[in-house]
Amino acid sequence: MNTMNPTVTSETGAGVVEDKVAPVKEERPAEAELEEGVTVGTPYSDDPKFKLRNVEVFYGESRAIKNISLDIARNEVIAFIGPSGCGKSTFLRCLNRMNDSIDICKVKGSLQLDDNDIYDPSRDVVELRARVGMVFQKPNPFPKSIYDNVAYGPRIHGLANRKSDLDDIVENSLRKAGLWNEVKDRLDATATGMSGGQQQRLCIARTIAVSPEVVLMDEPCSALDPIATAKVEELIAELSESYTIVIVTHSMQQAARVSHRTAYFHLGHLVEVNETNKVFTSPEHNMTESYITGRFG
Amino acid sequence: MPHTKDETYGDHTSHAFNDELMELKAQFLKMGGLVEQQVENAVQALMDSDGHLADETRTRDREVDQMEMDLDEVATLIIARRQPTARDLRLVVSVIKMVADLERVGDEAKKIAKLALQLSEEGQAPRGYIEVRHISNHVLGMLHEALDSFARLDASQALRVKKEDKNVDAEYQAAARTLLTFMMEDTRNISRCMSLMWVLRALERVGDHACNIAENVIFMVEGEDVRHTSLEDMEKLVTQDNS
Amino acid sequence: MIEQGSQAEIVRQSLKKRYRKERRFRMYGRVAIAVALASLLLLFVDIIGKGYTGFIKTTITLDVTLDGEAMYLDDPTDKDQMSMADFQAPIIASLQGYFPQATERSDVRQLSRLVGSYAGNQIKDLLVDNPGLLGSTQTLEFLVHDTVSVYVKHAGDEAYSVRLSDQQKGWVDELVEKGVIDTGFNDVLFSRGDSREPTNAGILGAIMGSLLTMIVTLVIAFPVGVSAAVYLEEFAPQNRLTDFIEVNINNLAAVPSIIFGLLGLAMFIGLFGMPRSVPVVGGLVLALMTLPTIIISSRAAIKSVPPSIREAAMGMGASKMQVVLHHVVPLAMPGMMTGSIIGMAQALGETAPLLLIGMVAFIVEVPDGFFSSATVLPVQIYLWASSAEQGFIELASAGIMVLLAFMISMNALAIWLRKRLERRW
Repeated sequence: MNTMNPTVTSETGAGVVEDKVAPVKEERPAEAELEEGVTVGTPYSDDPKFKLRNVEVFYGESRAIKNISLDIARNEVIAFIGPSGCGKSTFLRCLNRMNDSIDICKVKGSLQLDDNDIYDPSRDVVELRARVGMVFQKPNPFPKSIYDNVAYGPRIHGLANRKSDLDDIVENSLRKAGLWNEVKDRLDATATGMSGGQQQRLCIARTIAVSPEVVLMDEPCSALDPIATAKVEELIAELSESYTIVIVTHSMQQAARVSHRTAYFHLGHLVEVNETNKVFTSPEHNMTESYITGRFG
Repeated sequence: MPHTKDETYGDHTSHAFNDELMELKAQFLKMGGLVEQQVENAVQALMDSDGHLADETRTRDREVDQMEMDLDEVATLIIARRQPTARDLRLVVSVIKMVADLERVGDEAKKIAKLALQLSEEGQAPRGYIEVRHISNHVLGMLHEALDSFARLDASQALRVKKEDKNVDAEYQAAARTLLTFMMEDTRNISRCMSLMWVLRALERVGDHACNIAENVIFMVEGEDVRHTSLEDMEKLVTQDNS
Repeated sequence: MIEQGSQAEIVRQSLKKRYRKERRFRMYGRVAIAVALASLLLLFVDIIGKGYTGFIKTTITLDVTLDGEAMYLDDPTDKDQMSMADFQAPIIASLQGYFPQATERSDVRQLSRLVGSYAGNQIKDLLVDNPGLLGSTQTLEFLVHDTVSVYVKHAGDEAYSVRLSDQQKGWVDELVEKGVIDTGFNDVLFSRGDSREPTNAGILGAIMGSLLTMIVTLVIAFPVGVSAAVYLEEFAPQNRLTDFIEVNINNLAAVPSIIFGLLGLAMFIGLFGMPRSVPVVGGLVLALMTLPTIIISSRAAIKSVPPSIREAAMGMGASKMQVVLHHVVPLAMPGMMTGSIIGMAQALGETAPLLLIGMVAFIVEVPDGFFSSATVLPVQIYLWASSAEQGFIELASAGIMVLLAFMISMNALAIWLRKRLERRW
């Protein structure tokens, strides 16, 4: 609540798309008045990890993402919220090209990770995914041992040459995921025998085992009980020191608890991006307010 | 921004949530009405040297205290159950703070009533009643406006309350000086004049509380914390948003 | 507006009706299962009742004097002499020891028909191996003649004795009483190939033939089927061609098996000039027949691998190939194997296509390679079942039991594999 105007950090870097900078709004936009490509709040950052401009995603004929421009800053936790079908998961999946496997899905616009185009045809998607890891809604450990789950990524990417190196990576990842003390005596036990919360933290450990720069989380706690959720949230807070984290969540309280910035999506539009504290006390856009206060969605 | 009650808080998906917020607002306004009445009665008792009314006012303060506790409970339950956000959150938080202010106003009324009782026993003070009447009208108006702005969610009305505070302060200074001069003229009246001084002081405090309430209303409506903000900035915020 | 009480009443009444319906439905189910079980039981009783005698052999143990004079033989190493020699003679002589009054020509002929026609060969083989035994007396066990065997096994049943004369019956009864003719477990069945004589016919040739054919089928159908399924599920682009292929695979599964026989005949034997009645061709034909089953079941298994596992692997940066090889195929393996084994079991029981490629021939030799002539179990059963001799009918039933045992063990293997390899996710 330090500023009262909906301000927009003006772009300073090269390759700025001028007309996409949302104009300073004098009033709160009225409901049902979604202007394409206009996002209130602070969608841009001075030190972006991801620089996303005019992103559009098509599923066949229908447009799931409508002209979204957003920066994701280095080492920030940004939460995507919005009603079901608003495109937040679709948008998240663009960030490590998980949509590639869907034939009818087409992505347009400029998506850059550290100034390199993600969708460059010459770019290797495997390398991208090693840098941008993903944690899914349902805990999905491989039906292998706990050790093999964590070691899988380093193995396929050839990160460890010796067994001892691999052991170190596994231990470190499990430690970072706060799971080491719980599983160190049963690394050979099958991962599917763990509790849901442990499985999800194992999936996070598996993801960070390849030392990604960004971790994408697609509703990571929706299948977990409150205690397990709290543990995962705690973990996110710790990880945010060294990783950029993008989290899609249906729980607004969760977004409020874990994220630095919150982005509100509606019907494929990016309606508002702001400091989380601001979004949850005095959002700028009426639709954001309606959504987070439980008036629709 | 024109808001009616129902538009602002009454359109949640959850009807129970709606009802709880409505209840919170209604109870707060009821408490505000009671506190207003208390101040009015206390001042009236003082004016008329009506010991009976003063006594009644003093005992009714318990009612105010009870309402404060009830409101706090309603607000706490809303937070626990609904985890309100944005304007709902601001409403609940503001109410919690404003309730404290109202309770303090209630205490001031009780204080005035006590002094009225004392004066009715000791005999009236020779002067100062006009000043008390004047200031009390003024602060009661402010309190009323503040509560009204809360009811209507009218930030500009709240801002007017805030502006009035300066005038009350000035009036208080003037009245205090008058009483002081009088005390210097006739030392026998010191004790009774001091009582009136206390009354004036209490009324001045009521004005301050009315201002606090107004600030909270602005926070509720605008989402900006305007405590410790200059009047000019406050005005800018309110008018710009209302244009 | 219905009142609460009456509403409850309505519900209660409809409840009764519902429960009645449910009970009726359950009863239908029980009746159906009972009918199925009864039919199965009938089948087993019939087959076992007819066939258990196939597992019994009847032997006659005689002290045989290998008299060179009687056999017109003085040097067992001389091949010419051996081919001319009369090896029946010592057996008849030995039998005449029991029945001294049987000296007439017709008696002698009847006596000689008590033992199987291969008894002479047994003596010949013995002498070829040990020429020094000429002139000595040996205690030897011979298989009895088919008619005697049937008579002994069904002692007391008139229907099974029509082909023996009363005199022969008398002799046999006496010999059985003396313990010269005895019954035992039919090891011949599992150690010999086919024969013209039921007592001497075994199923080993057919088992080996089936085994060899199945190996060919498995080696060809499993890898091809699984690869095709993996490609179609994971890599093939979604277009008209893929749809077309998919429809055709599904159709192929429903094509009558004899058509595959015709295809095999035209393609492998006609076009490629492969020999007839060999396990390789049989295996190829059965592989073609099994392929659709394997492909369909493998695709179903691959489809059942949860997408979350694929996503997880992909999210880790695994390439498409790694996703498939590290995760999808191992997880789908139990399903694929089950499908394959079931398909193989089907192929094992298949006769029609093999008839067309000539695996129906009378083959005495036990096949020793993929290119030697062979027959398979179901065809052998078919051949025996269509023979006239009672002995062959018994053998056919015994063969069916062996085949069923094979199939049950294959299905058991499928279940065991699935239980063992199946992983939970």
